[in-house]
Parts: sequence; structure tokens; C-alpha cells
Amino acid sequence: MSVLRPLDKQPGLNTATILLVGTEDALLQQLADSMLKEDCASELKVHLARSLPLPSNVNRPRIDLIMFVVNLHSKYSLRNVEESLRHVDATFFLGKVGFLATGAGRESQCSVHRSTVVRLARTYRSPLLFCDPEVDGFRVPVAQRLVRMLQICAGHVPGVSALNLLSLLRSSENPTLEDL
Amino acid sequence: MSVNQQDLDPDSTTDMEDVTNAEEELIKECEEMWNDMEECQKKLSLVGTETLTDSNAQSSLLIMQAKCLTAELSQWQKESPEIIPLNEEILVTLGKEEFQKLRHDLELVLSTIQSKNEKLKEDLEREQQWFDEQQQILESLNVLHNELKHQVLIFSESRIFGELKTKMHDIKEYKEKLLVTLGEFLEDHFPLPDRNVKKKKKKKNIQESTVQLITLHEMLEILLNRLFDVPHDPYVKISDSFWPPYVELLLRNGIALRHPEDPTRIRLEAFHQ
Repeated sequence: MSVLRPLDKQPGLNTATILLVGTEDALLQQLADSMLKEDCASELKVHLARSLPLPSNVNRPRIDLIMFVVNLHSKYSLRNVEESLRHVDATFFLGKVGFLATGAGRESQCSVHRSTVVRLARTYRSPLLFCDPEVDGFRVPVAQRLVRMLQICAGHVPGVSALNLLSLLRSSENPTLEDL
Repeated sequence: MSVNQQDLDPDSTTDMEDVTNAEEELIKECEEMWNDMEECQKKLSLVGTETLTDSNAQSSLLIMQAKCLTAELSQWQKESPEIIPLNEEILVTLGKEEFQKLRHDLELVLSTIQSKNEKLKEDLEREQQWFDEQQQILESLNVLHNELKHQVLIFSESRIFGELKTKMHDIKEYKEKLLVTLGEFLEDHFPLPDRNVKKKKKKKNIQESTVQLITLHEMLEILLNRLFDVPHDPYVKISDSFWPPYVELLLRNGIALRHPEDPTRIRLEAFHQ
């Protein structure tokens, strides 16, 4: 059981790596393409994976940000994500993990309720984004957000750390103290 | 967390001596930072891993986040900002970069504002036009309204007036016509007795009527006038100027009535009541 650790290697010079974990390959590919189209000062690397744990024989750079992609139309993707969460080190959740829910636009086909994903994100104290990658208008802003988050998590933005970003992202969410 | 030196391109292409010095200085600083990082990395790899389950995730994460935030805070408080080596070339390059960025941003802002301005001007023109048109419409409507108001008043008054006048006129004419026709009819069919008819009768039997007889028309007129002048006492005394046969005629046909107590008085029947 190899667990993914946040700062296990030296970072590459001026590179930032994001890992997208999700069952829908086409979706991940689209998202990856939009992210790479964004122009940004640092070099971006996007890794795609079906589930964790990752095969240990591959030489990969240090992962700066993990986005778990849940497709609200399939319960399987949710279960897959929940399984993969067990292979992530606890220190990753200090701002270097995020959840992305897709398919919320078509309410009739959602087999996973929105509140389930919200609860999941709240349990792991991580930000939750919504996206519909088929619609071009949605994909580009989400890609921009992800690139910015990635830059911060890789430490390329002076003065803001991943934890700071986390605190900033949380303030707009649930101000009421729910089941703790 | 000082200035991001990794972004600075160490391959500047000028060959002055102090430039190479600056370069060397920067490279040296970068190397030092890299060594620090490697040491931290070694220390980190000694820390064990720990995974989460759903149940303990929230609480342990919250505690961990709180600890890390306090650690970060103390780090920030301890640290004093480092400045890059005050070399002219470096400063100039940095300054140029900053100014370029600034210029780019300002150009963006300028173009946005310009386009906004234009759009606003267009909107203003359009609204002004619309407003002018509305004003014109309002004016013409006001004029129309006034005219109509005037017309309605005058129109209604004059119309009623005219109608009444014509009505009265018509009625008067009709009355005249009726009276004329009545007079002619009475003349034709109920003439006064001619004095010359006395030929057959002996003069002794005829009473000397010195009184001038009035026509039936005049008799009716007297009765009519009396009825309308004195409605509570419409009785007229039968005078000698009334030709008796005509009186009889009126009484028998119900046109005139005798007074219930006085046989010498008659009145016209009130056909209008």
C-alpha cells in the first residue's frame, strides 16, 4: 500500500504538477487540455490516473495538487474516489487536495446527490468545485482556477501558501457549525 | 518567502563585468537556497505517513490545520524580509519588467474603458433620440387632447342648444299649422248662420238678436283660454254671442261640459289630462 506523500521529492525547477484522479478518461483529458492551454509563468505538468495507489515503478515528479473528479451521474466514480482517498497521506489535505464534481447541470441524470459530494468535501476539509466540461464556457474558467490553485500549491506565488489558500476558500462556505 | 528569484533568468546576454558578477552572485544565492531545500527534504522524509478514514478525517485534519497555521504564523513573524543584492543591472532589469507589466495592464484597462465609453456614448445617443421622439409624441398628443377637450365641450353645449331650438321651433310650427287647419275646418263646416236665411220665417217669431254672434272658432278659443288661464275655475258663462245650436253641438259631443250646479256655465273638456 504505497501512500502518496506531498513533499517526498525535490521539486523540478519552475514546474508544477497536478494529478487528476477520476474514472472518466475523456473528461480528464478535456480538463487537462484546457489547463495546458492556459498561459502561465510556470511549466505545468498534468498527470491523469484512474485511481490510487499509483504504480510505483514510474518515475514521476513531485505532485503539488491532487484533484479528485467525481461524476455526479455515476455512483461508481464516487466509490472509486472514496477508495483512492485512503491512499493519500494526511498532510496532503492541508490545501493540496481538491474535489471537482461534474455533471451537476443535468439534474435528471444525477444518481449521486449534490449534498453527498458537499459532505465529502467537508469531511476532508477541502475545497469543492463544480464543472461541466462539455460546455466550453464552463471549462475555461475552471481550468484557470485550477492553474492558479496549482501555482499556489507549488509555491510559485510568493506570500501565499496552500494552507492560506485553503482558509481563504473556506470562508464563503458553511458558516454554521454542522456535525463535527 | 522572499522575492521569487527563480523567475529571474540568469542568462542575460550583456557582457559587462559587473553583470557577470551579479549573475554569479545570484547563482550563488540560488545554490544556497537549493541546498537548504535539500536539507529540509531529508528531514521531511524521516517523518512517517498517516492516512485518514472518514470517521477521524474531520477532527484530525482540523487539529493538523490549526497546528500548521500557527507554525506558519510564527514563521512569518520571525522572518525579516531579504532584499536581492543591490546591483544596478539587476535592479534595472527588474524595474523594466515591472514597468512592462504595468504598461500591459494599463493598456488593457485603457482599451476596456475606451470600449465601455463608446458603448455608453452609443447608448446615450440612442436614449436621447428615443427621448426626443417621446417628447414630440407627447407634444402632439397634448395638442390633440386640448383640441378634443374644447370640441367636446362646445360641441355638446351647442348641440343640445340647437336640438332644443329646433324642437321648439318645430312644435311651434306644428301648433300654428294645427290652429290654421282647425280654423279652416271650422269655417268650412260650422259657419255662422246667415241673417238672410230669415226669409222663410216671419220676422215676428225671430228674436231680435242685436248681439253679434261669434264664430265657433272664437267660442272654442274662449273656452280654451279660460281652461289654461284659470285651471281651478275653467267655467265660462254662456253669453248671448254664443249661437245656441253650436253650444248644444259642443255639449252633445262631449267637447264642453256644463257646470254641475249652474246650467249657464260651460267648460272645455280637459283632453290633455
